Amino acid sequence: MAEAIQKKLKAEVEKFRQMEKDVSKSVSTRQKLETQLAENNIVKEELDLLDTTNTVYKLIGPVLVKQDLDEAKATVTKRLEYINGEIQRYESLLKDLEKKSEQHRELLSSLQQEFQKAQGLSVGKA
Amino acid sequence: MAEKGKLSNEHLGGVVRLREEQEKVVKDCENRVQHWKKVSGDYEALNHRLKTLPDQLSYEITVPFGPLAFMPGKLVHTNEVTALLGDNWFAKCSTKQAQKIVDHRTKYVKSEIDDLLKTMKNFEARVGLAKDLENISSGKGDFIDIREDSGNIEVAVTKGRKRIAHKPNSKPKLDAILDLKEEEEEDENKGEDGGKRVGTITEEELWARLDELEKLEQQQDDQDRLSDNADMNGDMNDEETSSSSSEEEKEAALPVNGQSLKPSWTSAPHGKLPPCIESKAEEDDDEEEGNGLPTIFFSHTMEPKKVRINTGKNTMLKFSERKEQHSKKKKKNGLNGHSHHELHKISTPVDIYRLFVDVKNGELIPRKSILKSRSRENSVCSDTSESSAADFDERRMIGRSFSHDDATTHSDTSDGITEEDSPTAVPLHPASRFEAFSGTVVEKDPMPTAVPHLTITPPALPTIMERKQEEVASDVAPPKEAPKRVSKFKAARLQQK
Repeated sequence: MAEAIQKKLKAEVEKFRQMEKDVSKSVSTRQKLETQLAENNIVKEELDLLDTTNTVYKLIGPVLVKQDLDEAKATVTKRLEYINGEIQRYESLLKDLEKKSEQHRELLSSLQQEFQKAQGLSVGKA
Repeated sequence: MAEKGKLSNEHLGGVVRLREEQEKVVKDCENRVQHWKKVSGDYEALNHRLKTLPDQLSYEITVPFGPLAFMPGKLVHTNEVTALLGDNWFAKCSTKQAQKIVDHRTKYVKSEIDDLLKTMKNFEARVGLAKDLENISSGKGDFIDIREDSGNIEVAVTKGRKRIAHKPNSKPKLDAILDLKEEEEEDENKGEDGGKRVGTITEEELWARLDELEKLEQQQDDQDRLSDNADMNGDMNDEETSSSSSEEEKEAALPVNGQSLKPSWTSAPHGKLPPCIESKAEEDDDEEEGNGLPTIFFSHTMEPKKVRINTGKNTMLKFSERKEQHSKKKKKNGLNGHSHHELHKISTPVDIYRLFVDVKNGELIPRKSILKSRSRENSVCSDTSESSAADFDERRMIGRSFSHDDATTHSDTSDGITEEDSPTAVPLHPASRFEAFSGTVVEKDPMPTAVPHLTITPPALPTIMERKQEEVASDVAPPKEAPKRVSKFKAARLQQK
């Protein structure tokens, strides 16, 4: 009895760990996105400082590829939009994950109690 | 005791951990600030270099060639740099533009540093607070008994802490400590006294509030009674009884005003005079301000005449004095009388609504909305509004019998009326206050017969009067008139129907 519960408990703990990992992963991704957002914001502002006489390059792999200024601006704007979308996506994802892990934690604690009870019973029997 | 000790220990542990976490945050902030400071320094150097770079056409430099070798070289195109904007974007630009970009970045860095500093300061303050908390809680150990003695005091202490916590930035830790200690000392010395004090204060307020409510209730009762009277007594004569009963009640309710209630009208005016004079003086400067809420009421209304006519006995003196001072402000005299009463009456927005009444089936019914235009027949405004006043004037012209002020303008009429009417009214009153009303009644009776329209008007006037008188009654003597007038009005209405 106690062993079955212990097995179950172990499995659940494993799942819970996985979940925690997911959470921390998405948190770090979100932070990365945040920094990218800041960076792109700066790029956009600095692109606004330039005029048509300036040449803009995009580093692709090892080469600098020449780009039109307007095009560059549009690209950056698009990228900003994308990043914002991603951030929102991760936000909701995080909320979901947190909720799930919370539920899981409760389940774990109840399981643990069960296990302890079972253990106590078996000990008592023994 | 044991429990408390445990609690404090747990509390202490929590505080320690809190402090540690906060210190971590502060350290992190420090590191980041350090980093940004370095970045800022780099940018400054870069800026300087960019400034001086185009000074010469070319520079002799040693070019690093791999990790080990350098070779001599020449730096040309000194006004041409390629700047990394971020996210792998590059821009070829002049040094001037590069400087602009650098400026932009330094600004960003500065804002970043500022933010970090702010956060750091915030958390430093919190750390200080946590330290204080720690000290206090550890110090608590010695004074455990004290703490336990006053559970309430503990609460108070926590409250104090919370308050301090709200302004940790502005308040140095020392202050917080001092405050806490003081509080503790107070608690020790006075125990529950502080709490009692608070309680008493609130109690006083409570009583004041209760008194207020009581007054309101009485007023409402009076009002109800009046309406009841109106329903029950078609005639003015019958009202005497009701009015007397109301009188008695009012007296009982307002012992201070008891004298003024019973005496003849002349006495009432005297009692009122002082306030009126004051209000006048105030009005000279600013009519509305002097009266406060009530004044606002009347400023919009033309009715002063009506008011005076109806309440002439009460307000006579005021009017005459007023005339002397200002011809224009007379309108407000009636208002002054009101204001006097209203000052007591109107204490909440609800009270304002009470002044507006609909008359349905001879009963006074509070209006649901005072914004809607009322139909003349159904509704009466206790304080007259312009429109109603104008209507009244027109109708009076027709039904003239009771109105005194046809020809004169409002302001003029008001003066004239007050003087004229009041004297006439006075003779009538001596026997009883009701008699004055009886005169009014006569007027009304003709009206219904003459024209339906006219009939309508009289009711409106009476209602107004009654209302005012009610107010007056609450404050001073005149209550009896109100019932009569109401009854007249209602009687008229009933007759019509």
